[in-house]
Amino acid sequence: MNSNPAGAPSKARVGSSQPSETSFKRKRGVFQKDLQHMMYGFGDDPNPLPETVALVEDIVVEYVTDMVHKAQDIASKRGKLLTEDFLFLIRKDLPKLNRCTELLSMNEELKQARKAFDVDEEKLASGE
Amino acid sequence: MEQPPTTQSETPPTTTTPPLTTTSSTTQPDQPAQSQPQTSSPTASSSQPLPPSINPNPKHPNLPTSQSLQPQPLNPLSRTQFNRPYPPFPHFSPMTSHSTTSSSSMTSIPPAQRGGMALGVPAHPSPQPPTSFSSLTPPSFGSQFGGLGRPGNVSVPESAPSTSTPQVRQSISGMQGVGMMGSLGSSSSLRASGIAPSHPQRPLQSPLRPQANANNQSATTQNFQDHSLLRLPPAGSPGSPAPTTQQTTQSHNQPWLSSGTQGKPPLPPQSFRPQMNPQTLQQRSHIPSQQQTAMSASTQQPQTSSSLQSQSSSLSQQSPEQHYSLPPSRVPQNLTHQQQMARNRGLGNQRPFTPVIGQSSQVSSQPMVNKPPSAVEPTEPCNRIISKRSIHEIVSQIDPAERLDPEVEDILVDIADDFVESVTTFACSLAKHRKSNMLESKDILLHLERNWNMSLPGFSGDEIKCYKKPFGNDVHRERLAAIKKSIAAAETPNAKSLGGQAGGGAKGHPAKTTGLVIGSPNSKGRETT
Repeated sequence: MNSNPAGAPSKARVGSSQPSETSFKRKRGVFQKDLQHMMYGFGDDPNPLPETVALVEDIVVEYVTDMVHKAQDIASKRGKLLTEDFLFLIRKDLPKLNRCTELLSMNEELKQARKAFDVDEEKLASGE
Repeated sequence: MEQPPTTQSETPPTTTTPPLTTTSSTTQPDQPAQSQPQTSSPTASSSQPLPPSINPNPKHPNLPTSQSLQPQPLNPLSRTQFNRPYPPFPHFSPMTSHSTTSSSSMTSIPPAQRGGMALGVPAHPSPQPPTSFSSLTPPSFGSQFGGLGRPGNVSVPESAPSTSTPQVRQSISGMQGVGMMGSLGSSSSLRASGIAPSHPQRPLQSPLRPQANANNQSATTQNFQDHSLLRLPPAGSPGSPAPTTQQTTQSHNQPWLSSGTQGKPPLPPQSFRPQMNPQTLQQRSHIPSQQQTAMSASTQQPQTSSSLQSQSSSLSQQSPEQHYSLPPSRVPQNLTHQQQMARNRGLGNQRPFTPVIGQSSQVSSQPMVNKPPSAVEPTEPCNRIISKRSIHEIVSQIDPAERLDPEVEDILVDIADDFVESVTTFACSLAKHRKSNMLESKDILLHLERNWNMSLPGFSGDEIKCYKKPFGNDVHRERLAAIKKSIAAAETPNAKSLGGQAGGGAKGHPAKTTGLVIGSPNSKGRETT
């Protein structure tokens, strides 16, 4: 159904004539390696079954896809997709929401630290 | 019920039923092959060969319960069914031992029955009085036999006390020395019985069915699972797992048994699937056996892997009707939901009773065709997608201590049935809309996703659902732009006037809102100024 261009094995656009009907061919095993480790961390076997990993990956991809679609629906009024849209979607799930805010704040801190680090380096460089 | 110790027929296969040995005692141990119905026959003659005392509990504590439920309907049938002498099956020893086994003695048992059903039918102490061996064996064996008896023996009269005995005997004999709980006969009969409830229509196995069902159910519940009795040689289903064993046993018992065993396709030895003698299985029909194997395989799978998936995989390969014969291999995600459901049904029936039921259902379906094994309900003739046992299991997954009223269970079974039917119907119309003759998984997935808001991961294949931008009309967009403009303009001191201007024209409505909006900033602005 999709013609895959040679350079894009994972996705294929049906054609520009169908504006929101393009279906993308999914690449399997995108999260395979990481998921195996995560599953092990949650109690599975160190080498989980490939079918299990494939199923979990399906679940993850479906969840992400669904979430992005909903966020886009919300953001289309404003025009741009922002982080707040995603936070709005998980507002009912407190653990997730808190974890998300924590990660975002951590990200900010790291950015600040890097920025300060770079500035220090510049100072040192100029000082020399 | 166990067979009179004398008859070795009952000698419960040493492996199969330890309890039997106790009950049936003596004879049983030596009767692994159960070819020695004769011993039982003398005992059987006593008419209730199965000493109820022994059997009732030691052997199959479960039997009585399950069997009692089901055997009853079967008993009358089983009794009649038991035309053949009941071969002293190890299990049956309690039951069979008594007369049927000995008399029928495996040898005499007409091969039609199932080749020496060595049904070790666990003498289920339950309601069936030893008299009817049929009751005994049938329940445990009966369930197995249920299928077995089809040829007429099975009569697993679960509780066909007294009268059943003669019949049982006969049926047993038909079963013929199935060394193992009439694995052959029982399995087939059981299956038949198991399926019987579901498919009352099966004429073939009708006699057996009721019994088989009862047996199966009882058997499954009681013995098969617990007692080795149920071990009856791979019940009904083409005694695959135990074909060898059975054959040997059977061959001992009767020459015709050996022939039968080989014919049957290997039946995956489900844990407690009674291993029907291959012979009996053969007689039953290859198809059922295959189905059984498939079923058993499939049943095993679901147990191992997600039931649905396994089922679906197997189902996908075959139409739901044929789930019996589905190969155990799983077919990844090509199963239509319908198939899965069909499989589920088949397996569902089996699950609660596990192998026994599955086998019985298969047995019954043998000649018949693959009627989707409706929920195994010993007494209910109509087909159900799921059985009450499955409901119990599901509930226990949610809360182990939860108990449901019987009416509630009935309702849930009905709801499940209706759900499957409605989904399948709609999916079929979707498939037709797609101009296709085959129902595929995407039809069911689409229906569930759209109308039931159920997304099933793992079945959708490789496509990613692309996003549809929210479509808006041109006019609508213009109006929205105008509103934005007016809002922006309202922030200036002239907002009020602008709002007024905006009010006129097509933006009547939006203008009002903007007017309201403007009102507040204006007031604020005024205050500041």
